Amino acid sequence: MSPKIGVVTFPGSLDDQDALRAIRKCGGEPVSLWHGDDNVDGVDAVILPGGFSYGDYLRCGAISRFAPVMAEVIKAAEAGMPVLGICNGFQILCEAQLLPGALIRNDVRVFVCKDQDLQVESVDTTWTSEFTVGQTITLVLKNGEGGYVADEDTLQRLEDEGRVVFRYLNGNPNGSFHDIAGICNERGNVLGLMPHPEHNIDPLTGPTQDGRAFFSSVFNFLAAKV
Amino acid sequence: MARVVVDVMPKPEILDPQGKAVTGALARLGFAGMSVRQGKRFELEFDGEVTEERLAEVRRAAETLLANTVIETFDVRVEPTPESAGAVDEAQNSQAGNNQAENNKAENNKAENNKADGSEAQSAEEAELAARAG
Repeated sequence: MSPKIGVVTFPGSLDDQDALRAIRKCGGEPVSLWHGDDNVDGVDAVILPGGFSYGDYLRCGAISRFAPVMAEVIKAAEAGMPVLGICNGFQILCEAQLLPGALIRNDVRVFVCKDQDLQVESVDTTWTSEFTVGQTITLVLKNGEGGYVADEDTLQRLEDEGRVVFRYLNGNPNGSFHDIAGICNERGNVLGLMPHPEHNIDPLTGPTQDGRAFFSSVFNFLAAKV
Repeated sequence: MARVVVDVMPKPEILDPQGKAVTGALARLGFAGMSVRQGKRFELEFDGEVTEERLAEVRRAAETLLANTVIETFDVRVEPTPESAGAVDEAQNSQAGNNQAENNKAENNKAENNKADGSEAQSAEEAELAARAG
């Protein structure tokens, strides 16, 4: 039986359909979740997709973080369910304090849209076990508020605990501290990153298929769990 | 009717790209020597008195939603509303007078500096365009 991966659609989500498609193309069973749902029953993992939920009003992710479905996502994440936040999803995970730090406006003050080189720093997460440490990958990056910031103690802890999962390579596109592109929680089941793996699964529409390993990683994790 | 104002500002150590952009634009307009940091102001209106309990509730709201204390600080204060006192109106009027004088001064500076800074403004704009293209 293929694993069921839920994708939450918030008002203003943009990449929910691409995430659903990527799950299907990589061999999983995509499940649409709605921001107003009061449960995530029946899914094995959850993706919070990219976009501009609630128009980025107040702060990116600040209002979505309190959507009814998020209470269930937070509970499930704390119980160990794999959760992946992509771009706006990463911002929501930080606002929900499932991940430390915050994302602020790019230091270059323009919306960045490019194929971004990344270095894989950790494979000890449910979403990155199919990569190798030090591997260089390329994913689509497209955001206006992708500058990762956190206080010194938090950054030190992330580094010491091996929780920086991806770092920008060949130039820092947005002013993120320590060139951080993605981080995970202590347990490694919650991952947030600014680049978009769901856009890099098909040779027709992406320069690489490096996004596929995110999905195969979580499928393997879920298969091993059963 | 009572009004409580919550001011939210980015912490000093956090880069404020919006403030930087505004600072740059002001300099190009001739408002020299100003460094801007941009925050948010929330006005919360209530029926009746602002009690200590009410203020505590506003602080909780600010901490929960209005501000992200990882990157921002907030300040909660009670603001007099127009119907609350005549004395306040008077104070505001004299304030407005001062502002008018300030504005006139600024206008003059602006006219002067525009002449001098014309070329610099041009190059700053070009730099910004070049950055966008890159």
